[in-house]
Amino acid sequence: MMLLEPAPSPLAPSGTIAERGFKKAVLRLVKGGPERLAIEAGQIDAIIDPASGHAILLPDAQRALIERKAPNRYASTVLDSLDAAIAVLDQTGVVLAVNPAWRALAINHSGITGVALGSNYLAGCDNAGSDEHVDGMAIAAGIRQVIAGERALFRYDYACGSPAGQRWFTLGVAGAAGHDAASAIVSCEDITERRRGEFLLDLERTVLRCLADADTAAVALKSVIRAVCESQGWNCGRYFFLDQSAGVLRFRESWGIPVAAVEQFLEKSRGLMFHPGAGLAGRVCQSGQPLWTLDGTRASSLSPTVLAPETGEEGAFVFPVSSEDTIFGVLAFSNPIIREPDDRTLQVVRSIGSHLGRFLHRQEVVDALRRSETRFRALTVMTSDWHWEQDRDFRFTQSIEGRPFGNVDIFGMTHWDLPNVVLTDAKWAEHKCRLAARWSFSDFEFAILQPDGQHDYYSVSGEPVYDEAGTFSGYCGTGLDITTRKRAEIALRDSEARLRTLAGLSSD
Amino acid sequence: MARKKASRAATDAAATTAVVMVLYITESGPNSVQAIANIEAICEEHLKDNFRLEIVDVLQYPRRALTDGVVVTPSLAKLSPLPAATVVGNLSDTRAVLRALGIRG
Repeated sequence: MMLLEPAPSPLAPSGTIAERGFKKAVLRLVKGGPERLAIEAGQIDAIIDPASGHAILLPDAQRALIERKAPNRYASTVLDSLDAAIAVLDQTGVVLAVNPAWRALAINHSGITGVALGSNYLAGCDNAGSDEHVDGMAIAAGIRQVIAGERALFRYDYACGSPAGQRWFTLGVAGAAGHDAASAIVSCEDITERRRGEFLLDLERTVLRCLADADTAAVALKSVIRAVCESQGWNCGRYFFLDQSAGVLRFRESWGIPVAAVEQFLEKSRGLMFHPGAGLAGRVCQSGQPLWTLDGTRASSLSPTVLAPETGEEGAFVFPVSSEDTIFGVLAFSNPIIREPDDRTLQVVRSIGSHLGRFLHRQEVVDALRRSETRFRALTVMTSDWHWEQDRDFRFTQSIEGRPFGNVDIFGMTHWDLPNVVLTDAKWAEHKCRLAARWSFSDFEFAILQPDGQHDYYSVSGEPVYDEAGTFSGYCGTGLDITTRKRAEIALRDSEARLRTLAGLSSD
Repeated sequence: MARKKASRAATDAAATTAVVMVLYITESGPNSVQAIANIEAICEEHLKDNFRLEIVDVLQYPRRALTDGVVVTPSLAKLSPLPAATVVGNLSDTRAVLRALGIRG
């Protein structure tokens, strides 16, 4: 096929000067006869040049062929209007056409995201190699499969660097079956915002898991700081707690990547102290709002010199740790460059600060309870010889501090099961009634006959115990070995009785 | 493109011998598209199944056209029964086509 020059534009109206000149040239080739009449009647599409053997297309046929063979202008319009970056590849991977979104993407990126019109996309993938973020060979293999018709669609998510930081893309490759030139349509969609949102969601979950697994505040703080650093790619983070009595922020916990400079930075932080309103941490503590510096020199409304001892030459991101409007401290993260946080990031750090604040508050309550329990136990130990617990059937389940009832193995026994207990039936009955009524009892005394014929005396006190549902679950209480006192009382009573006897005898 | 339509024995008493034709076209050309439609309509109406039509795209087979003495598309060449005849153009003149095919309209 040959197009006679000058080739008329497909968009030129019929009968232009160029086309009339073209027809004259054609008529010269066809000297006369029905062919000439047909040409003049506009019923001919092509003339076979006897000399060259080429078919020479007349303008209307040219237009029809161009519109069929070339990407038509409707397709171009649609392509240009799409937000996704689109490239059309031929069978060898050469980029035949791109839309404006692709051109904009290619300007700002390198590697496979930066392949321009006329370049070979497959070669770009092959040359990109493989790293932790993108496998160029895998992408090239997928595209080749699509071009060969071995698969209808190929998808691949990858990350690549840009002046604005790391960005994520999803690549979609579809076959262009039925077209002579185009073999594959490549779409490249920027999914950075979606991916960052996923990372933030993962971070929030990780923080909650850290808090659920932590049994101390120190463990919780370190694991949360680490989770945030690893998620955001930051070097280190520190927690400064608000010392309420002194009214200052003091260093408490940190985590950082194992790099000497970072370790030194964290070591120096140990002595740092901030008054509310001073420095980035102090301002966050005062305002309760997150603050950040992007790279140590740019900070909104903050003088870099004010922050120098706090952040060095680095960027910083600081947010409060609070619970119900009470600020417990601040988390301060450092990295050479901190990206301007978006609304979603700010929302997540506030949530993390709140979760951590609630955990620390709960931990404070638990610690206070633990201290109180320790004090109570010490008092119990001082005022009794042992304490015990019983199940709902009044069987001993636990005995702490001491060996009750003269080394008897009491587990699984009730009070009245103890061997050689000396107590009247009436007193046992009265005691059992009290237990059945779930009343507390104190100084319930009884004796146990020892193998040597002596009596040992004991006094027990108890309180009913209820579980969280309010169901009775047994008793707990204390026990005292009162043998010495009892024997002394008995001896005194016996002595008094003897004296009274002697006095009676003498008066007689 | 070279398409052929196979003929079947005609039951029409008026056409006892199959008409063999070659239509030379240019793919996508508006006159060629029209010519195909016109000859198919004529064959349907006047030849029933008693014909054989071959369609040759000169963009793919330019030498074939030259060999057959065709210099423009669309052109319809009747090869048999003799005498041979050629009609040039989009075949919109049905009477001229029927005359060339030896059929009285």
